[in-house]
Amino acid sequence: MAGWLDRLQEDTAAVVERARRSLVSVRSGRRGAGAAVVWDERGTLVTNAHVVGRGRVHVLLPDGQEAEAETEALDQTLDLAALRVDVQHLHPIARGDARRLRPGEWVYALGHPWGVQGAATGGVVIGMGSDLPEVGDRERDWLLVGLHLRPGHSGGPMIDASGCLVGLNTMMTGPDVGAAVPIHVVEAFVRDETTV
Amino acid sequence: MATTLEDLSRALAAAVESGGRSVVRVEGRRRLPASGIAWSDDGVIVTAHHTLERDEGIVVGLADGTEAAASLVGRDPSTDLAVLRVQGQRLEAATWAEEPSARVGHIVLALGRPGATVLATQGIISALGEAWRTPSGGSVDRFFQTDVVMYPGFSGGPLVDASGQTLGLNTSALARGISLTIPSATLRRVTEALLRHGRIQRGYLGVGAQPVRLPEDVAAKAGQASGLMLASVEPDSPAGKGGLLLGDVLISLDGEPLRGMEDLLNALGSDRVGKTVEIGLLRGGQMSNVKVRLEERGKGG
Repeated sequence: MAGWLDRLQEDTAAVVERARRSLVSVRSGRRGAGAAVVWDERGTLVTNAHVVGRGRVHVLLPDGQEAEAETEALDQTLDLAALRVDVQHLHPIARGDARRLRPGEWVYALGHPWGVQGAATGGVVIGMGSDLPEVGDRERDWLLVGLHLRPGHSGGPMIDASGCLVGLNTMMTGPDVGAAVPIHVVEAFVRDETTV
Repeated sequence: MATTLEDLSRALAAAVESGGRSVVRVEGRRRLPASGIAWSDDGVIVTAHHTLERDEGIVVGLADGTEAAASLVGRDPSTDLAVLRVQGQRLEAATWAEEPSARVGHIVLALGRPGATVLATQGIISALGEAWRTPSGGSVDRFFQTDVVMYPGFSGGPLVDASGQTLGLNTSALARGISLTIPSATLRRVTEALLRHGRIQRGYLGVGAQPVRLPEDVAAKAGQASGLMLASVEPDSPAGKGGLLLGDVLISLDGEPLRGMEDLLNALGSDRVGKTVEIGLLRGGQMSNVKVRLEERGKGG
């Protein structure tokens, strides 16, 4: 039995380690620090709109190099933003499917809570969809998770037990419930806003 | 090959899925709906009393998406339980975990269905309590204290173990600030009584009392260190009619020791309603016995 728990620890460390290769730190003027995720090999990063403003933001990439990123698209209502950095050899995060997540499944949120770089926190999926109490907007999907998101988690990846991206950490909806924008909403936003 | 982490994740989701088949939505208040547990296949549902603001017009949303009108069988505010019945619907009754199986540290999930789908939060069993009495006098056989988050609308829903078997019913109304789970033994007792009588009967004596130390010789003879001194006796109550007086120190009821209020409350169970009991007491330094016919609390009492 002890071996089983050891394997669980190893697996957890491995998925967090892998996701960190796609975890970006964002600094935008007086707004303080937030997080972002490497979305594709062309240098697209995704994050929350409330983490960035229009124009340029300063980012710290997973390999430690600093860069200036351009805000390519911003949607305050969805609370999503797409940034572009002119950097090669980034590791895009593996993408999962939030619509296939079931309540009870294990997920992790990565980010920089209170400025602690690359921190991970875990919990289970409460539910996913638009039929959830205490989430204001009934017209859109949210991914709700039993974990604590803190300033600095915003825009960071929420990953499933396989380490695949299922959402972007966005806000708390009550004292103990974290809310993420599900990945299919992010995908639609990036597709609509950054293709010409 | 699936990793151990993926296995854990899938197992938790499977527990939610199997436990969730017996979780229903209960619409009995203006705000958010609450949850309930299917008690039997033929339509009996248990839920949390405090989530039912009305006695009529209660609607239940089943796991298959259908809705049905539910009638209120009865409530027991003292344990925060209520029983509903829907007609003509097949439910999937909850499967109950073996009582002693739950231990501190075990993974548990709280389930609810405030909307169409089942939702889940996860935690561990923090403490296993002994039998206790709620502030409103209800008796709960034992309880699970957990660190699960009670998401809005989860009251009345089940706490399930890692295999999806039901451990009890979650309520946030019995004690402030902690989520308590009412165990299956209490659910069974209260549900069966509500199905039979539509209410929980409690014995009524009609006294106010406080524990006092017994004189040494009396304590030695009675085999207990304390008794209950009467601070008030309601006129026309069983106690008044039976001749109990202010200042009497109650020592026993039908031979069961009365060392404190807990003993007295336990002695006034439904089985003694309408029965004549013998109360052993100390009056003016003398021990004597008085016969009192108990009534039902809340009925002319």
